[in-house]
Amino acid sequence: MDISFPNRISWLSGVAVIGLLTAGCGQDPIPEPALSAASESPVTGDTYVEASLGDPSRLNPLLASDSASGSVNSYVFNGLVKYDRDLKLVGDLAESWDVRRNGLEIVFHLRSNVKWHDGAPFTADDVVFTYERLVDPKVMTPYGSDFALVKSVTALDDHTVRVEYKEPFAPALESWGIGMVPRHVFVGKDFNTHPANRAPIGTGPYRFVQLKTDEKTVLAANPDYFEGRPYIDRVIVRVIPDSSVQFLEMRNQSIDTMGLRPDQYRAYDAFFMNHRKFRYPSFSYTFFGFNLTRPMFHDVRVRRALAMALDKREIIDGVLMGYGRSATGPFPPSSWAFDPTVPEVPFDPGRAKALLAEAGWGDTDGDGVLDKNGSPFAFTVITNQGNKMREQTALILQAHLARVGVRVDIRVLEWSSFIHDFVDKGNFDALILGWNLGRDPDQYLIWHSSQRGEGRYNFVGYDNPETDRLWEQGRRTFDLDQRRAVYQKIHRLLAEDMPYIFLYYPESLPVVHRRFQNVETAPAGIGWNFREWFVPWSLQRYRLAS
Amino acid sequence: MWRFYGRRFLANRLALAGASVLLFLGLAAVGAPVLSRTDPNQQRLTERLMPPSVHHLLGTDDLGRDVAARMLHGGRVSLRVGLVAVGISVIIGTWVGVTAGFFGGWVDGLLMRVVDIMLCFPTLFLILMVIAFLDPSLWTVMTVIGMTSWPGLARLVRGETLSLRERDFVWAARGLGLSAPRIVLVHLLPNLVVPILVSATLGVGSAILTESALSFLGLGVQPPMASWGNILTSGKDYLHVAWWLSVFPGVAILVTVLALNLLGEGLRDVLDPRS
Repeated sequence: MDISFPNRISWLSGVAVIGLLTAGCGQDPIPEPALSAASESPVTGDTYVEASLGDPSRLNPLLASDSASGSVNSYVFNGLVKYDRDLKLVGDLAESWDVRRNGLEIVFHLRSNVKWHDGAPFTADDVVFTYERLVDPKVMTPYGSDFALVKSVTALDDHTVRVEYKEPFAPALESWGIGMVPRHVFVGKDFNTHPANRAPIGTGPYRFVQLKTDEKTVLAANPDYFEGRPYIDRVIVRVIPDSSVQFLEMRNQSIDTMGLRPDQYRAYDAFFMNHRKFRYPSFSYTFFGFNLTRPMFHDVRVRRALAMALDKREIIDGVLMGYGRSATGPFPPSSWAFDPTVPEVPFDPGRAKALLAEAGWGDTDGDGVLDKNGSPFAFTVITNQGNKMREQTALILQAHLARVGVRVDIRVLEWSSFIHDFVDKGNFDALILGWNLGRDPDQYLIWHSSQRGEGRYNFVGYDNPETDRLWEQGRRTFDLDQRRAVYQKIHRLLAEDMPYIFLYYPESLPVVHRRFQNVETAPAGIGWNFREWFVPWSLQRYRLAS
Repeated sequence: MWRFYGRRFLANRLALAGASVLLFLGLAAVGAPVLSRTDPNQQRLTERLMPPSVHHLLGTDDLGRDVAARMLHGGRVSLRVGLVAVGISVIIGTWVGVTAGFFGGWVDGLLMRVVDIMLCFPTLFLILMVIAFLDPSLWTVMTVIGMTSWPGLARLVRGETLSLRERDFVWAARGLGLSAPRIVLVHLLPNLVVPILVSATLGVGSAILTESALSFLGLGVQPPMASWGNILTSGKDYLHVAWWLSVFPGVAILVTVLALNLLGEGLRDVLDPRS
């Protein structure tokens, strides 16, 4: 569960790790259990056990691109700013800040009582160092371009940092939510391969204790945390690569939280005797992405035809079971950039066939599969293991495209191989994946043509000068209405140009064990006040030996 | 002579039971397109996870596909994998075993060391490794299972060949100056049929199990094609609400493998002259 925002944008590896920073909320009406002891005052103790589908491989907020790592990093690291319960940016490591010269300059006033987990003081030098790594071409970070417009970052004194921008950059403040890394640990050593990336030292509410690959990560409460020690003693993130197994473990009370699939959410109430269910729209979307460097997908008519051949209603009703809605573009409905007037792609297999014929695809050999110049219209769609909804979506897509004469093979791959061997290297025809988004609508990292290349987020190879220009403009515009106009234009352009088929905006359906008190839903979802959660002494399940 | 074996076979109730089950499964698999008019890949998302009923004898899966139809077509896949894989394994195993046993010497030494090496690897992991490099498909699975399951058979055949080689009729054939291929084909192989047949029958069962395991892991038959293994996998996600998705393919695998083992054991009892 994300308790702050570790990265502005990250992979969504599966239902289990959907970020919980979401707008709008609603709690399912479950009768309050007898064990709710609201009047008790907070006490320390107990352990919070979560599960992740993938191994948190990069415990460094600059290098992490997957939500499993992001989830752990969010306990260990802090940014300069963070979102509060109402999704307002507030200070985190920065106590306050001044924005000067129309946004060209931000001065952060840092907290003075912050210590790294190894006892060293957190100072302005760490901020400067973090920035230098972000823009260092040797550092394998996907977040560099958020800082490309920075002219300089200067430490004015130990607790004051001045950031100057070359041009106005609207997401500037949000971008400083990225976790700060300790200069004294990394300085003079290789940043990408430093052992601290597997044993992180941060400033956050929890200290790193242990990482066992493909098994678990253990974190312990930081007694010196600048906002005060969190009540929950330990956080354990267990790697359970299958959501069905997670579900069984949840029923068995061996994990305290997980993101449910819609069918699990709908299961018998008795399954949730010990847990509370929550439901709210997530700030994410799931898409079908074309590898645009493949010649068969160059023609927009072909991409449009494939979108028209897909009856999305079946996915919304059958897979999401109504817990989510059809997507029209890259902004979820709860974002201010969302344009409600962008139309859905109509389901129309007849038009789809006509468009394909127009693009030169016909079934000349009568085998039921379209062909052109002797090669059949066949491709492989890949997705990750553990996310049943994506597998089902792939199967539905396969069936629907077969009806218009397109042959689709499906490969379901293990998460880290999926990301590192296939997605990062552009080694795929098409894929089904999801984006976990930041609050700011800037998705330059995903769509700008400069963000193509290995390990970057524009892995579909989208290159459109017009949207490039608009993404740049959106970053330079501070006026909310003008910015909205820019993003609504992008929304429309992407919906027409279809580098992805935007599939759906899923809802977050998390459960949390009932013994945890102070779990509160807000526009930010749940988890935003994790530090204040506690378990009354009599209900604590795990006690430390010492 | 065959009438004698026939009578012994009919007297062996377990073998008979195994054979009947297999005959039934075989007919069902061959007749699948006729028996079930329902397309096994037809998705009806309004009818997901329906329990067994008159409309869907074995219920429906998470995409509303008819489980009975998928089981029938999956049975075709399982039996085909079993037969083809064992076919490959019998051809390689017999050839290696006979060559090693008949020629002896350094040929024997070399081939048997290869067999030893093959037997050192845990087969399932070897298969997983090979499939990781190739694209998983029905043909890959059949070939890989066949290519990895022959060493046991090769050893068996070599042992039998070693003892046959010293028998009088083989010495007689040699004395007559017959060529080695002729001695092997005409005089040795007919005497090897019984152990090969028994071992092959048991091999089909284990090939079906391996295919199910691979499909369960997502490395076997690829969607939307049905196999018992991948129906079982999708069942695992719905254990809490849809028991029929896991129980039917599970039982089918169990019954088939059991029937093959009974038949194999029975054939050995019936055909072994020492019993």
